[in-house]
Amino acid sequence: MTLIRHEGGAVDVAPGETVLEALLRVGVNAPHSCRAGNCHSCLHRAIDGAPPPESQSGLTDAQRAMGYFLPCICRPKTPMTILRPDDLGASLEAIVRAIDPLSDDIVRLRVEAEGFAYRPGQFVELSAGEDLKRHYSLASHPEEDAFLEMHIRLHHDGRMSRHLAEELQAGDKLRVAGPSGSCFYEGVHTDQPMLLIGAGTGLAPLYGVLRDALRSGHHGPIRLYHGARSGKGLYLSDELQAISNARDNVDYRPCAFDPAAPHGGDVAATALDAEQSVSDAAIFLCGGENLVKRLKRDLFMRGASLKNIRSDAFTPAR
Amino acid sequence: MSSLYERLGGEGAVNAAVELFYRKVLADGRIAHFFDNVDMESQIAKQKAFLTMAFGGPNNYTGADMRNAHKRLVDKGLNDSHVDAVIENLNYTLRDLGVPDTEVKEVAALANSVRDDVLNR
Repeated sequence: MTLIRHEGGAVDVAPGETVLEALLRVGVNAPHSCRAGNCHSCLHRAIDGAPPPESQSGLTDAQRAMGYFLPCICRPKTPMTILRPDDLGASLEAIVRAIDPLSDDIVRLRVEAEGFAYRPGQFVELSAGEDLKRHYSLASHPEEDAFLEMHIRLHHDGRMSRHLAEELQAGDKLRVAGPSGSCFYEGVHTDQPMLLIGAGTGLAPLYGVLRDALRSGHHGPIRLYHGARSGKGLYLSDELQAISNARDNVDYRPCAFDPAAPHGGDVAATALDAEQSVSDAAIFLCGGENLVKRLKRDLFMRGASLKNIRSDAFTPAR
Repeated sequence: MSSLYERLGGEGAVNAAVELFYRKVLADGRIAHFFDNVDMESQIAKQKAFLTMAFGGPNNYTGADMRNAHKRLVDKGLNDSHVDAVIENLNYTLRDLGVPDTEVKEVAALANSVRDDVLNR
C-alpha cells in the first residue's frame, strides 16, 4: 500500500493499482478520459513526494519540473501529496517591502515571503483579504533578490488597484500562494534562439525569464518584443536597452501604438513579420488573452512546436 | 504479423504526426471553428490520444468516453461531414509522412469505427 494525500484526505493505493483507480475507487470525482497517459485529462501535481518518471511521460519539461504527473499511469512506490492542477495549495505570509511607480499606471510591488520557492516567470496568487485575490507574475530571481517582484497595472475601479495605491504600505502583510504557470526557463538549450513577446505587464514574467536565461549562460540569440499602448507604457526600457547594448545576443524591440510606425506599432504584427523562422525557437508569450491566443496559433501554424511555446494569458479580475 | 501500431512506428510515429495533423485541422475551414475556444495544449494531448487510438495503439477508451467528450460539439452541429474532414486530414498527414497506402486505409478504418459514438448516435 502506498499512501496518497489528496484534498485533506488519505487514500491507499493498492499494489499494481494506479492513482486514478484508487481515487475513483474511494469515490473522488477525478476527471479522466483515455486512461492510457495520452489525453492529459486527469493531470495532477505532486507537492510532496516524487511521482514515478513514467507517470510524467509526454509532459513538458516545465510540467515535470513542477511535479505534474498523470494519475492514470501512475503506480506510486512512495507516499505523495497531490493537488488538482489548478489548486495552488497553502499560502505564505508576505511582507510588503516597497511599492514604486514604473509608469503612469504600473507599479512595482516587492514583498518578502520567506521560504517561497519559485522560478522567474511563474505567477502567484496574491491575497489582501479573503475576497481580494489576484494572480501576478514574478519578475524577480530567487537567487538574486530577497523579495518577490510583481508589476501591477492600476485600474481605475480595481479593488486591488485601489488597495495598492491608497492603503498598502511597507511593512503591511499580504499572503502569497503558488507558484504556478509554466512560463519559465526550463527545457531550453543554451544555444537555442529565444523569442519573448509580451504586452503591458506581460513584461514582468519575460523580464524574469530573460534574467534567468542570462544567469544560466544562455548564448543563443534572444529577441524580446514588448508592446504598449503608448511610449509611456514601455516601462523598464532603459534597463532593457542597457542589457541589449551590453550583450551581443540580446535584442530589445519595444513597440508602442503609433499610426506612423510599421504595423501601427502592434507588437504581435511586428513580431510575426520579423520572425519568419520559428521552428527551432523557445517561445515565451505573456499578455492579454487575445494577444497570447493569436500569437500561439500563428506561431504554431508557422512551424513552432507547441512544446516550445510557453505562455501566460492574463485574464481580467471578475 | 506485427500490429498496425508497431508497423507505423509506435509512440514515435504518433509524436511525429500529431502537430502536423493538428496544423491541417486548424487550417481546414470546414472544421477549424470547433477549435476556436479550446486550449491548444490540452487539445494537442487529446489529438495525440486520438491518433494513438487510430494507429491501433494502447488506449482504454469506452464508447461512453467518446460520447461524453463530443456531446458538446454535436450540440453545436458536429455531423458526418466533419468526421469525414477529420479523417481526410488524417490521411493527408500519413501520406506526408510516407506511410504506405495499406496502413493509411487501416488507420482510416479505425478512426471511422468510433464515428457513431463521436456523433452520439
